[in-house]
Amino acid sequence: MSRDQVLGRVRAALKSAEAAPGNLMPAGPPDLPRPQAFADPLTLFAERACAVGATVDLVASMDEAARRSAAWCAARAVRRAVVWNVASLAPVRDRLQADGIEIISPLLVPVRSWVDTVAGADAGITSAEWGIAETGTLVLACGPDQPRLASLLPPAHLVVLRAGRILPDLPALFARADALPSALTLITGPSRSADIGLVPVFGAHGPMAVAILIVTG
Amino acid sequence: MNKPRPAHIDMVANTKLALQDADLQGALNHALVRFRRLRTDAAAEVPEWEALRDLAGEIKAHALARLDVHLTQLESRIAALGGTVHWASDAVEARRIIADLVRTRGVRRVVKSKSMTTEEIHLNRALEAAGVAVVETDLGEYVLQLAGEPPSHIIAPTIHKSVAAVSRLFSEKLGAPPLDDPEDLNRVARKALRTEFLAADMGITGVNFAIAETGTLVVVENEGNARLATTRPRIHVAVMGIEKVLPRLADLGVLLRVLARSATGQRASVYVSMITGPRRTGEADGPEELHLLILDNGRTRLLADPDLRDSLRCVRCGACLNVCPVYERAGGHAYESVYSGPIGSVITPVLEGLPRAGDLPFASTLCGACAEVCPVKIDLPRMLLELRARAVRAGVIGWVDRLFARGWTFAMSGPARLRVVAGLGRLVQRLLVRRGRIERLPYPFAGWTAHRTAPPLAAQAFRDWWRSR
Amino acid sequence: MPGRAPGSSSPVALFVTCLVDQLFPHVGAATVRVLERAGCAVNFPGAQTCCGQPTFNDGFWADAAGLARRFLDVFADAPQIVVPSGSCAAMVREWYPRLLRDEPAQAERARAVGQRTYELSEYLVRVLRLTDLGARFPGAVAYHPACHGLRGLHLREEPLALLRGVRDLRLVPLPGAEECCGFGGFFAVKFSGLSGAMLEAKLRAIESSGAEVVTATDVSCLMHIAGGLTRRRSKIRVMHIAEVLAAV
Repeated sequence: MSRDQVLGRVRAALKSAEAAPGNLMPAGPPDLPRPQAFADPLTLFAERACAVGATVDLVASMDEAARRSAAWCAARAVRRAVVWNVASLAPVRDRLQADGIEIISPLLVPVRSWVDTVAGADAGITSAEWGIAETGTLVLACGPDQPRLASLLPPAHLVVLRAGRILPDLPALFARADALPSALTLITGPSRSADIGLVPVFGAHGPMAVAILIVTG
Repeated sequence: MNKPRPAHIDMVANTKLALQDADLQGALNHALVRFRRLRTDAAAEVPEWEALRDLAGEIKAHALARLDVHLTQLESRIAALGGTVHWASDAVEARRIIADLVRTRGVRRVVKSKSMTTEEIHLNRALEAAGVAVVETDLGEYVLQLAGEPPSHIIAPTIHKSVAAVSRLFSEKLGAPPLDDPEDLNRVARKALRTEFLAADMGITGVNFAIAETGTLVVVENEGNARLATTRPRIHVAVMGIEKVLPRLADLGVLLRVLARSATGQRASVYVSMITGPRRTGEADGPEELHLLILDNGRTRLLADPDLRDSLRCVRCGACLNVCPVYERAGGHAYESVYSGPIGSVITPVLEGLPRAGDLPFASTLCGACAEVCPVKIDLPRMLLELRARAVRAGVIGWVDRLFARGWTFAMSGPARLRVVAGLGRLVQRLLVRRGRIERLPYPFAGWTAHRTAPPLAAQAFRDWWRSR
Repeated sequence: MPGRAPGSSSPVALFVTCLVDQLFPHVGAATVRVLERAGCAVNFPGAQTCCGQPTFNDGFWADAAGLARRFLDVFADAPQIVVPSGSCAAMVREWYPRLLRDEPAQAERARAVGQRTYELSEYLVRVLRLTDLGARFPGAVAYHPACHGLRGLHLREEPLALLRGVRDLRLVPLPGAEECCGFGGFFAVKFSGLSGAMLEAKLRAIESSGAEVVTATDVSCLMHIAGGLTRRRSKIRVMHIAEVLAAV
């Protein structure tokens, strides 16, 4: 059985490596550094996110977030948007619906045509679990009301992030003991590629535009 | 198992050809100078960069030291999440496992995201032979698939192709109009590939890291095609070398901090997908089935070797390629193997054997630039030297080197011998020395004088001057 | 000469290296002059030949081990060994223990001798704590940091400090200084095309630096660079750092 063969060879390999002269096997796992501490993680996050091509706006409340989202959609002539069906985004959803934008939700779309429907949307709107200041990264968790494709198929992605959820660095994120969802996605700016002629281009396969609304209130 | 003797990789001939290709030289130089600067700047931004490299290396060393434990822990976590783990001893088995999956699940179309490991097992050929359409979805890999060429760099596979060449290719294969703007070319590819993603039954990806503690597979990218390949098709197959497993989730924090900076100078890659099991109840998207294929294919040979084991720390960032003065001029194709550059010169001779790849460790000046940039501190020059010794012991070294070694050892075996040999040399060189230098050395040393003059033996050796002083 | 009291001479065994011995004896003479000016009593064990690096680098470790044992015999009682070559010093310090790994007694000897083996600029600056040897060398000089010294022995500041201590010497920066010159031992012959291409880049950098002289700690790199400059009929001179430090 291949499993036994491979594991057998691994075990044998480790034994022979251990027995070799002058061989220094590490005694145990190394100590990991503590997360960094930044004086102003919010500003750092905004700077770093802008540096990778996202746009960042600070809003004082969810109501203002709703207004900004509507303006953003209007500017992009968004007619259909996938919006995560989470409570925190209710003000945004309501406002967009009031503006006549068709809100696509997995609960209301037949499973068979979910993907095609999302592919036809003009924008995806989600919340973010966390922000990572050091790199300007958004952390998105998927779930029944938080489909993965919302932040991937439509050409534009709008994210609402609470200021209090900005962590300094990745070690800070992984130091938490939260249970992992089936897909936890770290997003740093719009999709990009430089494979053709080494010229960087946005929107290789994922969104070409990422807009971040940070709610400070 | 009788395999036909694999063709020997003639690095001398391959590099000679590469040097004659002016387009290649220009493209490589342009790309690598840029990558080097980006990496240097990104590393300079992190004051504790050297300490971070040390730590990343230690994490990997520890992961390898108890690899059996970590692999079995990973396996049980993934099974508990509803995923399936397969084990493959070698490429033949790996292909068989995936072909079986394709057959039993009625798969007709496959989308792939870039994975050196799938290249290594020659997966595409096998799938096509099984009647499955396979589409590479990384823009660079897609270009190469259309062109029928292998990738030439771990991170930037089309480093050797100009914009004009890509435009010609798209016109020919996709009926696109001639375009000279990379942005327009990207749009053409994006549109063509979207259709593929939406039609595929199975997505195949590599794995950058696998976390034993949580059963999480980590896929790192910039374009979004790996996300698509792991979300849209109903089956996701992830192919991973045994060495990719990390013990703890917290280890990932350190490795991710050094990976993107070392590869492309970015603080972080655009997308890091952390996949913990297949789609869960109530979710609208995500694969229904998740399969992890754990591959050996010679890696246990590296693991067993105390002098070479650390090469398994490699996170495939490409930094060593970018900084190597030999890779800069040879390009990836010269190495005729999946893994090129300094890391390729170490692992290919072990994975594919010295008779085939024995030249590779010699195509280096051992300058050490690679070791300076490796984010997990692999001592590549040391390993190249170890492999040279093995190549000699295996008898795959040519007669010129052996003659040189014999002659040198004889001459240097004592001052009396040295005096005799050097004296003979001073006599012979009278035929060669003109105006204080040698313009033409005879075969097999003519390579020296092809590019520079050679110094003559001095009229009086230092040891004789010392005696007379 | 600052810092040296008469009679305070440190005894030093000179390992002159095979290339210097047979091809560039004036570099050896300059090394002796520099060490004597620094207050050392220089001894030259005549039984010495080669550290074994050429055969070692080409994979012939059995041959190299023979030369290594020989070196250890010749220098067994030397208090301190000074070498006008970063790569040879690195060979002895870094590689002898590995080369003789299967003979524990020899490996132990190798470790002990290695600890007493120094490249020239390393010895002057780190051991004798000297950067001014009373030298004078007018001219624009570019320094090429040879790879083994740079990355093997971590020789970064020492040669530069010594060059800065030379009166009237103008140190000019060398673009891409830390890029390998392309010598690499037998590589220069076997992969002569690659070697030539790397040399070409190094020569362009040297010519663009405005230097009148290029110097380094290793004659291996220097003879390769000199060979290229001669081909181009360049007026730029090539000198080992010992020659620059010995100049008055």
